[in-house]
Amino acid sequence: MEKLNPKAIYTIAKKEFLDNIRNKWVILLTFLFVILIVVFSYVAGGQSGGGKTFGNMQNTVIGLVSISSILIPLIAIILGFSTISGEAESGALYVVLSYPVRRLEVLLGKLLGLGSVIIVSTFLGFGLGGIVIAATVGTEAWAGYIAFILLSIFLGFIYLSLSICISAYCKRRITSIGGGLLVFFWNMIYGTILMAILFATGSNIGNLMKGNIPEWFYNSVIFSPSDLHQTAVQRAFGISTIEAMRIKVTIPEFLSMSTLLVVHIIWFVVPLILAYFFFKRRDI
Amino acid sequence: MISKTAMCPGCKTHVTIQGNPGEKILVTCPKCNLKGYFTIPGVKTESGPVSIEICGLTKTYKDVKAVENLSFNVCKGEVFGFLGPNGAGKTTTIKAMLGLIHVTSGDIKINGFDMKKNGIDVKRNIGYLPERVSFYDNLTPVQTLNFFCELKGVDKSVVPSLIKEVGLEEAMNRKVGTFSKGMVQLLGIAQALIGNPSIYILDEPTVGLDARWVRIVREKIKMLNERGATVIFSSHILSEVEALCDRVAIINRGKLIAEDTVANLNKYLHIKPRIEISIEGLDGKVPKVLENLDGVETADAKGDTLFVTCESHVRSHVIAALEEAGFKVANIKTIEPSLEDAFVKLIEGDT
Repeated sequence: MEKLNPKAIYTIAKKEFLDNIRNKWVILLTFLFVILIVVFSYVAGGQSGGGKTFGNMQNTVIGLVSISSILIPLIAIILGFSTISGEAESGALYVVLSYPVRRLEVLLGKLLGLGSVIIVSTFLGFGLGGIVIAATVGTEAWAGYIAFILLSIFLGFIYLSLSICISAYCKRRITSIGGGLLVFFWNMIYGTILMAILFATGSNIGNLMKGNIPEWFYNSVIFSPSDLHQTAVQRAFGISTIEAMRIKVTIPEFLSMSTLLVVHIIWFVVPLILAYFFFKRRDI
Repeated sequence: MISKTAMCPGCKTHVTIQGNPGEKILVTCPKCNLKGYFTIPGVKTESGPVSIEICGLTKTYKDVKAVENLSFNVCKGEVFGFLGPNGAGKTTTIKAMLGLIHVTSGDIKINGFDMKKNGIDVKRNIGYLPERVSFYDNLTPVQTLNFFCELKGVDKSVVPSLIKEVGLEEAMNRKVGTFSKGMVQLLGIAQALIGNPSIYILDEPTVGLDARWVRIVREKIKMLNERGATVIFSSHILSEVEALCDRVAIINRGKLIAEDTVANLNKYLHIKPRIEISIEGLDGKVPKVLENLDGVETADAKGDTLFVTCESHVRSHVIAALEEAGFKVANIKTIEPSLEDAFVKLIEGDT
């Protein structure tokens, strides 16, 4: 392994951060976070009644997570999908790689720089939302809320790693848009395939409505990062039984917090290693 | 042992010649049996130490050979022109020098270092301007140059003077995303100047610039060379290469078809000077006296002007013959062969 130069990584990261923190889509989505949190908190408060305007952190997050687990991947994909393919096509990458810098340093710099944008955006969005809830409802379940923010950032890094991998593989910006869409819709595509398998193996809608969900089916969330994230958030709040539309489902024991975190790490590391190999052998 | 392709001056057949750099070889054309000496270019034929050494470079994309067995050297302190039509393989060769693409075979040495092994260190000493340069839309020129200074380990205090040097002072706090193509090119040049490298690799440096900036860029190339830098630049603009370069390499379809000084190239290709003779009342007719005159290669007439291609020493014979035949020669102009003629002749011979 070549010796890496931390200064080069930092320089690339700083440039990526400065260039992308001003990305108007990222700014827009961050604002959307704040609004959504307040809205979900309001809805959660209305649901639980009790005369409160805003719901507490746990109820807010449980509602919010289904949206945030779409928005955070979206931000990550917007940031990462063309970071290599787009720059190779425009010509900026030619200049960078003519400098005394290794490709692995460029890759890690991009990951850290774009990751910092996600961190700032998540902290800003969820942090402001959290302050609103803390001020109006109280800091009940705050530890879960912090865990939720951290898991959201982790989710962002997983999708960043996936989208950088696509960007390193695709020759042109336009093809990496396709790749980005595939990653974005993966949980839907995967979910549909899984449903087909479930029905093919003898289950049916009626069974599902009664809450008869086979354990393997539940466990398969490990193949879909956004479902994985939602399960981890539920675990973080100490929830083990999900209730929705009169169905009661218990999260299988296999999906413990530690298993979930290990799977998170795998989802983050594997695409990154692939990205490095694609980038290394790429002709710019 | 390297192999070179040379063109037979007689029948324009390509002949592959193998030998050691600097070796003088008697070559017989397989087609027309013309004999002549050919010197294998290499370390010994150039003046002074070698700065860039390219040996047997081949790059294949799928089954297309973008560059095939290309070898040439660039000497320290010279301005080297890299000439060829679009798609000839110029950019591929330049990218290979910088390690942007993985070569199929061949070696590239810069300042004696193998780019495959020591690329990182060598790149500190190179300033590069790519063919289509682009930067980051949301950064200002100052931020952009700060970034590249940091990447090269050069103190950021040079940035204001770099911006001044390329004349972007007025736009220094604007986002690069709002720049015109020419302004981005200027920022590209500023970027290449960071750290005063001893080698400049410029890919089509004047493309997309207006006449004023083309002149400034050309002056800059001269200035860099006067400071002692080695400059290699690719171009398809012949006048530019001719005006700036000590030596040129001409490539077509990925193969080197010539590498020499501009003067030698013309000599080697036997391109003769052209004379323009103004004759009153010529009326587009070529005088009969020229038809059988020794040494006259071509003769054309257009209005009152006669165009004659011949060796310089034949010129006086032509004038004498014309005057003897009663033509009133009003004005004579000799046009020395240009690189363009060489280029056209080479490319034609290659197709």
